[in-house]
Amino acid sequence: MDDELKRRLLKTTRLHLAMEGEETLQRLREFSERPAAMEYFYTLFHQLANGAGPAAMAGERKIIATMCMQVPQELILAVGAHPLRLCSGANAYDQVGAEFMPAKSCPVIRATLGMLRVNQSLWGDTMAGIVVPTTCDQKKKACEELGDMGYPVYSLEMPAGKESDLARYYWQESVKQFAVDLEKMVGRRLTAAGLRQAIAKVGRAAALFRQLHGLRGNRPPIILGSDLFLVYNAYFFDDIERWSRAVEVLVAELEQRRQNGVRVTNRRAPRLLFTGSPPIFPNFKVPVLVEQSGGIIVVDESCSSTRLLSDSVAYDQASLNDMVPAVADRYLKPCTCPCLTPNQDRLRKLVAMADEFAVDGVVYQAFAGCLPYELERRQVNETLSERGIPMLYVETDYSPEDSGQLSTRVEAFIESIKARKRKQARQQS
Amino acid sequence: MNSLKDLRRVVNHASLGRFRFYVQLFSFVLLIYGGYLAINVGNQLPTFACLYSDLHGGACYLLGFQHQMATPWSQLFGGRGLAILIGLATFVAFFVVFNKAWCGFICPLGTLQDWLSSLRRKLNIRAAGYSEPVFQRLSKIKYVLLALLILIPMAIGNSFFGLPKLGHDWGVPFCMICPGRTILPLFTGDFSQLAIDFSSLAKLTLTALGLAITGLLIIGSLFKPRFFCLFCPMSALHYIFSRTGLLRLTKNGAKCTRCGNCFRACDMGIRAIADDLESKNIVKDDCMMCGKCIEVCPEDGCLQAKVLSLPVYESTAEGFFKRMNRKNNG
Ligand code: SF4
Ligand code: SF4
Ligand code: SF4
Repeated sequence: MDDELKRRLLKTTRLHLAMEGEETLQRLREFSERPAAMEYFYTLFHQLANGAGPAAMAGERKIIATMCMQVPQELILAVGAHPLRLCSGANAYDQVGAEFMPAKSCPVIRATLGMLRVNQSLWGDTMAGIVVPTTCDQKKKACEELGDMGYPVYSLEMPAGKESDLARYYWQESVKQFAVDLEKMVGRRLTAAGLRQAIAKVGRAAALFRQLHGLRGNRPPIILGSDLFLVYNAYFFDDIERWSRAVEVLVAELEQRRQNGVRVTNRRAPRLLFTGSPPIFPNFKVPVLVEQSGGIIVVDESCSSTRLLSDSVAYDQASLNDMVPAVADRYLKPCTCPCLTPNQDRLRKLVAMADEFAVDGVVYQAFAGCLPYELERRQVNETLSERGIPMLYVETDYSPEDSGQLSTRVEAFIESIKARKRKQARQQS
Repeated sequence: MNSLKDLRRVVNHASLGRFRFYVQLFSFVLLIYGGYLAINVGNQLPTFACLYSDLHGGACYLLGFQHQMATPWSQLFGGRGLAILIGLATFVAFFVVFNKAWCGFICPLGTLQDWLSSLRRKLNIRAAGYSEPVFQRLSKIKYVLLALLILIPMAIGNSFFGLPKLGHDWGVPFCMICPGRTILPLFTGDFSQLAIDFSSLAKLTLTALGLAITGLLIIGSLFKPRFFCLFCPMSALHYIFSRTGLLRLTKNGAKCTRCGNCFRACDMGIRAIADDLESKNIVKDDCMMCGKCIEVCPEDGCLQAKVLSLPVYESTAEGFFKRMNRKNNG
């Protein structure tokens, strides 16, 4: 590609990105009763959609970019670097990626690689490393693509399962090695004090996450699931302390709402659990549709959202010997990523969430090309139907083309739940 | 009602570890020096309060138990049989109240090992553990020791399969090898147990073994927390009655994420605490009911310590973050 062409591609992509981002934000703003504390997140994503690069988030710190939530963030923070999750949800970038990647690949990978290709001249030097765990096959191959583009790629080896002692040992050794290599990438030593502080920062974020998680289950609902996807998406790139402060404000506002009885939707709105391929800004197509159609996402299970902070590190002794394995365990043992085999824990977690949040149905999003989630559909479906919980399975991608057809299906699903609830109510009375 | 809720919240936010430290200290002093104040809580204690330590304020059941096991079978149906039953009943009565928490909170030898672990932390020595297959194999040794400490005395009072009876030098064989006998008297200034008894081959073997085990315990505890407890026959005897305990440790598998925090915290190295999703009663044979697992479990109500069915301490997210916060910043 000659330079002129590259420049033009960059320009049109940016325009598309801005339009896409603004449209999603616009849709979110159209819902009634937005919490005022959400303004922080709208602004953040407005900046992101309008071209704010990673450096804008990291300040003076070095950036260690990641392509999955499986990369131990505590270690990155401990060496004083800024962790930045790259996974992109932009159709604009997906289109760039489609130029050089197979049509059947997953949109998350395509968009992320597209983004890294088109922005290379702008971001190239700001990243001290891109860490890609060997989770799904497409991520593994992405490592090679990125390496060929000239990015400093680090492939973090991860086992294919987590049940055996061997898997745990392998992962712990892999993480230890990563810690050593990270020191070189960033040029700073990992110390026990630094790691303890990093664990504390993530712990604070996780504690706030738990509060938020509890509040979102309130009856009647006091915050939309779509808004929360935005909040958790911000955790991908925002400074962790700034993020925690913003969430603290949000939690306080929601606590007020709970006491004052403010609600975002009516009491009888079907309560839904969202699971599957990750909704990443600006691709909030499905969650927004669900909530526009009168459903409410009261809880979700996805790696761009609740899974980010559900689990927390506990260590016995504040020494590296104890803390590094503790950090490593956090990323493997409770993980419910469909890349793992077996993945019974995901089924158990979905059932537990459905119980705890008293959900009426489940929305399962699978990106066309994301085989692990497509393949787990059957197990999830069977587990849920055993318990009489209806599930809507949607296969989709980042393009807006299927919106019409999607909204018909989503509306029908929500109507059927409403009808069911009415029937149950009649039977009870 | 609300005040009860508040109280439980306060309790669940507390650090059980600190509470345990003080209970252990108190029990240690009581059981080692209680004799000074003429305190004696009984001779059938389900814990290593050693009779060889002169000032003991209570004593271990195993010494008397081994003596009783040497009773000839012909005498079992008289008064001596009754005495054995009463002894056992007293032991069980003591045990039932605290269940295996006797190990986590009261046993002086257990406490001593915890103190050695603190020393290990100070020295920044990394805690060692066993791989699962090794753990499973080692974990059986305590049952073998329990069987031996019953069978050997029996062979003194009785003849097995027409073999000659064992000599009295084989009496109380477990006490002879128990590190409680050698170590606990040291705290009262009595070093006499740190010797090898050359008076007979049996005594020579047993006391030499005892010294070796003592050395192993001290060195082992500097690397592996609760090194000795995995082999302890008292713990095996406990487990027989564990189901009757009033104090319980329960798990709600549906809430468990298998994060493994509990397993990493467990000084006994019990994997099942994280991986077992089925058992409600999660007191495994090696468990000492220290409650460390409850403290580090971030899931609400996943692990609970209960008295009968009343939860007295349980895992909560809020409590978890409170404790971790203290740890991270303290
Ligand atoms: S297992 Fe440990 S704590 Fe329990 S009685 Fe034996 S030595 Fe004491
Ligand atoms: S700490 Fe709690 S959630 Fe984690 S494995 Fe143990 S019991 Fe399960
Ligand atoms: S399972 Fe829990 S209570 Fe039992 S020894 Fe291990 S940490 Fe202590």
